[in-house]
Amino acid sequence: MQKASRLKRELQMLSTEPPPGITCWQTEERIDDLRAQIVGGSGTPYEGGLFCLEVKVPERYPFEPPKMRFLTPIYHPNIDSSGRICHDALKLPPKGAWKPSLNISTVLTSIQLLMAEPNPDDPLMADISSEFKYNKQLFLEKARKWTQEHAVQKNTGVMEGNKENTPDQKSRKREADSDQQEVEEPAKRTCP
Amino acid sequence: MESSLVKDNPLLLPLNKEKTVYDGFITVQERDFRMRILLPADRQLKGAKHCHFIILPFKSVFSLFFNFSQRLQQSADLVSFILELKTVLEVGLKSRPVCRAISPPQYYSQLMSEMEALGWDKLLFIDTEFRTLRLKVEDSSGRQHILTIKLKSKHPAEAPECSADLPVPLALTWTPQSTLQQLHSQFVLVLESLTEFWDVLDEIDSQTWILEPEKPSRADTMRRIAIGNNMSIKVEVDPRHPKMLPECFLLGAENMVTPLRNKLNANMHLWNPNSSVLHNLRDVLEITFPSPATHEKSDFSVDCGICYSYRLEAAIPDQVCNDPRCGQPFHQACLYEWLRALPSSRQSFNIVFGECPYCSKPITVKMAAQKS
Repeated sequence: MQKASRLKRELQMLSTEPPPGITCWQTEERIDDLRAQIVGGSGTPYEGGLFCLEVKVPERYPFEPPKMRFLTPIYHPNIDSSGRICHDALKLPPKGAWKPSLNISTVLTSIQLLMAEPNPDDPLMADISSEFKYNKQLFLEKARKWTQEHAVQKNTGVMEGNKENTPDQKSRKREADSDQQEVEEPAKRTCP
Repeated sequence: MESSLVKDNPLLLPLNKEKTVYDGFITVQERDFRMRILLPADRQLKGAKHCHFIILPFKSVFSLFFNFSQRLQQSADLVSFILELKTVLEVGLKSRPVCRAISPPQYYSQLMSEMEALGWDKLLFIDTEFRTLRLKVEDSSGRQHILTIKLKSKHPAEAPECSADLPVPLALTWTPQSTLQQLHSQFVLVLESLTEFWDVLDEIDSQTWILEPEKPSRADTMRRIAIGNNMSIKVEVDPRHPKMLPECFLLGAENMVTPLRNKLNANMHLWNPNSSVLHNLRDVLEITFPSPATHEKSDFSVDCGICYSYRLEAAIPDQVCNDPRCGQPFHQACLYEWLRALPSSRQSFNIVFGECPYCSKPITVKMAAQKS
């Protein structure tokens, strides 16, 4: 009941006054299946990249947090290889910190902040996290390389340009991987 | 038996010597219904199966005979069956509205002469059957009212049904000698008795922001007036004594409302029945109400912090965080829905204790929908 009125207002606000470096829009006719883009912050290894996210709004929204996932591969201690994000605001209390006072816009902003300031003490990718802690140079290098490879819009070819925005085969394969991973190795995720 | 059948239903006749086929009409309330009954050779009703009616304009009546063949087979003989059928048809016909019948010419000439006496300019609407009239009536303060009159078929012997947008029940007296003009002047008197009530409410409506009802009608006695910062006062004005102290409820954050409630209690004796409700409220509460001249309505109709809307079905956000720095309003339903699922919330009887989703200060919400 609350979902429709709230989403309508949020989409309106997202289109009229989007937060800096962030865009979010609804896909096709579905009001609860959104796409978002976050511009990689300057001074971060993600600079120059445009990161695409999938935002799914659950039926009980805003009493439940929106479900967000990176579609663009990103090398980050708190984001796993299937794009899942370890972030307080994306989980309900007591584990998380989602509140109805947050919204899609503020959560996307905090994800943008998380990209700039990883949280290695609450990692989703243990190896990237220890790399971030103990070998920052290597981490930055790899993150920059991933950004160049996956997140930079190449103007040389239309095919490649499209690749970033629409989930291509690679990311679809990744989605399949993520489902498997969920079943097979739940222990790998150390994030509570 | 045969003779009584023919005597009662002279239009229903056997079509053969064996008297196994009957065809013709049965008469109920001066209406003829075509029917045909086929009986088996032994003329026992048990075997009777084929019957049909042709009652085209009376489909609703026909539905009464849904188990018609079954009834026929259960009946002792044809005479008693047709008697039963006629009884049911009669009941069915009586329950039908009689509006199909066109009134006698006297009805219309009576209506015309009454309308001429009243003045055609007062007629706003009349339906095609000349049954329902809407009359325009202006009271002494220039407010327009509409009197809806539904005339009965035996007009003027039977009193018409009257209705209007009034805060009190409309009781107009009617005798067979009464005319529409008399009805009209009675209605004017009723309106005059209520002008003070509407004067009081019109002043409130024009000089304050009304949060509820959304579009007040002439019958509405309640007004929820914005005071500011998620505070409002709900007053229930008595249409018979509009200038007396009305029932008041103050709505809003406790810390904001308490001083006003104290003032209301302390200054209640200052209420002046010769002055208007709005002036009295100003004097007693020692406040000025924000008016459309000085404020935008959006200043008061702050959206719910959970669903981002002002109206959720009919409800408006009347639960306000008591922290003066927060003051965030919520719908009762939204706040309850959020707090009840949280492990950090505590429930005691029908009240949930939790934290404001905005400032995390303690907040409570009632479980059941509030009467206000």
